Amino acid sequence: MARSRRPQRSPSGSRSDTSASTSPERGVDDDNDSFMMQANDSVSSLAPSIPPEFDNEAARREIEERCRISPISRLPAELMIAIFAKLASPGDLKNCMLVSREWSRNSVGLLWHRPRTDKWSSLHNVVKSVRTVNSFFDYPSLIKRLNLSTLAGDVSDGTLQPLRACKRVERMTLTNCTKLSDLSLVDMIQGNRSLLALDVTGLENITDKTMEAVANNCIRLQGLNITNCKKITDKSLAEVARLCRHVKRLKFNGCSQLTDASIIAFALNCRHILEIDLHDCRLLEDESITALISEGPHLRELRLAHCSRITDNAFLRLPQEATFDSLRILDLTDCGELQDAGIQKIVQAAPRLRNLVLAKCRQLTDRAVLAITRLGKNLHYIHLGHCSRITDAGVIQLVKLCNRIRYIDLACCSNLTDNSVHQLATLPKLKRIGLVKCGNITDRSILALAKPKQAGHNGPVTPSSLERVHLSYCTNLTLAGIHALLNNCPRLTHLSLTGVQAFLREDLIVFCREAPSGSLTLAAEFNDHQRDVFCVFSNHGVTRLRNYLNQDSRISAYEADGTMYDETDEPDVIMNVTAQANIMAIDEMDEDFGENSEVMGQD
Amino acid sequence: MAATTSIETPQKILLTTSDNVELKVDRDVAERSILIKNLLEDLGGEGTEAIPIPNVNEAVMKKVLEWCEQHRKDAPATQDDDSDSRKKSTDIDEWDQKFMQVDQEMLFEIILAANYLDIKALLDVGCKTVANMIKGKSPDEIRKTFNIQNDFTPEEEDQIRRENEWAEDR
Repeated sequence: MARSRRPQRSPSGSRSDTSASTSPERGVDDDNDSFMMQANDSVSSLAPSIPPEFDNEAARREIEERCRISPISRLPAELMIAIFAKLASPGDLKNCMLVSREWSRNSVGLLWHRPRTDKWSSLHNVVKSVRTVNSFFDYPSLIKRLNLSTLAGDVSDGTLQPLRACKRVERMTLTNCTKLSDLSLVDMIQGNRSLLALDVTGLENITDKTMEAVANNCIRLQGLNITNCKKITDKSLAEVARLCRHVKRLKFNGCSQLTDASIIAFALNCRHILEIDLHDCRLLEDESITALISEGPHLRELRLAHCSRITDNAFLRLPQEATFDSLRILDLTDCGELQDAGIQKIVQAAPRLRNLVLAKCRQLTDRAVLAITRLGKNLHYIHLGHCSRITDAGVIQLVKLCNRIRYIDLACCSNLTDNSVHQLATLPKLKRIGLVKCGNITDRSILALAKPKQAGHNGPVTPSSLERVHLSYCTNLTLAGIHALLNNCPRLTHLSLTGVQAFLREDLIVFCREAPSGSLTLAAEFNDHQRDVFCVFSNHGVTRLRNYLNQDSRISAYEADGTMYDETDEPDVIMNVTAQANIMAIDEMDEDFGENSEVMGQD
Repeated sequence: MAATTSIETPQKILLTTSDNVELKVDRDVAERSILIKNLLEDLGGEGTEAIPIPNVNEAVMKKVLEWCEQHRKDAPATQDDDSDSRKKSTDIDEWDQKFMQVDQEMLFEIILAANYLDIKALLDVGCKTVANMIKGKSPDEIRKTFNIQNDFTPEEEDQIRRENEWAEDR
């Protein structure tokens, strides 16, 4: 009798403006739902919710009596839901469902909003309830989030298919469920008009069929992540661009098969794009980039790392005098064709850029750096690693005019000297500095870096804000400089000194973390020599190194000698081509290791 | 802005409760309630006439105003005030915890009033307080706590239990 499968009004159903991020980092716990957002709707609903059929005297008295005995009955459904929303544990919500009919109606939507699918036992039970014909509630329509990324590679089409009845899923996260194919995905997507975000990262089997289903059904789609889906072509993506006009966040990383055709379709059709990540879409040319920027008034984040065909023209062809004030983040890593003229135009066209990544744009010179200074206080994050032509003159000017920089990387800018670092030391908000392989720098500039800062002329003196310091292969450095750095930077959590002779001592490397191995793709390129010189201190390692250096005065005495334990074992830096390449690999790793999240989170 | 204009004596306003009692309060305290704040803005001018609050009685209103007084210096609530910390966590600061140590009748009246008067932070504390009374309890203990009658048949109860078994997984 009570089992009629009438669809339950989900408490969160009226929330339309979910910001659909497709990035897995923000995946599991990004529950934005808050019932407080809609609490205002109920300003006038102070009285307990009395359904109209109770509109007679006897029934009213009954309710009054109930409220007297059980004061909580006075709360209308939306307030009960607001209370249940505070319960984080599904177990508590389940107990609420078992209290009474009313409580179960008000809690079931929250419990099933995002059912547990991170363990097989849970998933089996969820699937079973979804498939039960006379279930107590219409569970399939209550599921708004479906995330199978924890089970990833074990998930097959057979796993997903029973869930195809869930047509109101708003976020579907299938990251690295590599066995999935069009077979189950098309079924899943067919008939779903609610989908806001789809993450199919790493599903190499899926093809245009899945994307055509998305185009034809998911009119509300806002986020799409098809990272490394190599079989999806321009054809279906152009359809998505034509029919899913609300897309805001796109990640096409590693889709090296895509060309300008689909990207231009997105630029022309989808005016709400906020973020697009085209990392490693190597076929892209200038035209699509010009279109994305000039047609996308809201574009905030544009990532083009390794799109190596891009030239200055992508930017020089932007409309004259127009500015794109929304653009905050631009990643042009390894766009090797770029020259100073392109950078000058970028800075003029996007004056509010906050993060600018130009690593490995090897043709850039101080002229580009001087152009970047026009970003002034807007610039927080700048990466010029491997822009080896830049000099102290450029860096000094950059620091003077852009004094809000929090993150700077100058790895392999081998012309730089202590003069640059002295200037960098004046940045009041600097949190992260990368000077890997800036071989000229000495303890002198590290001492300057460590010095507490004074705000203004008479302002308070505050300790350094540095958190992450990368100094690998700065071979002139000694204990004295680093010891001072450790003692003056209370927030330091990462210090890399790979290849710095003074630290390759057994009593110090015990505080290092392990050299990368196994899981990292670059580990294969790690040879024994590199393992020997690997030296990175992080978190507790930093603290322990600091304590060790402070407690033992003999160390400083020892230091004065300038003798090293293993001096004789250590071959001098071999400058043949292979060794050079390998060292590059390390410095890459040093840069990238654990740093990505920081980079991504920098918005 | 009202909170900053009052370097001299804070402006007083009058509220009339549902049981026809007039309460005189500082304007910035009353304006913790977005409902009252909007009413005052709509009325404009001096706001000398009493504002009727027909849904809240004197006892509850006084209690609510006590909270508003304590929190008068808090940053004003904003539209997007749904920071993660506030959502699921059931942490409540000490003063608020003591404030909420009232009988259930008053507790739910405060929640209703906070909702009606649009005082998000108070509503939030109220909801957290109730959530804390639920946490870790079995369905039967919850029913006892709030005096709720079980209107399920044993079969229905069993069915719900089975269909939601996954929620018990750790």
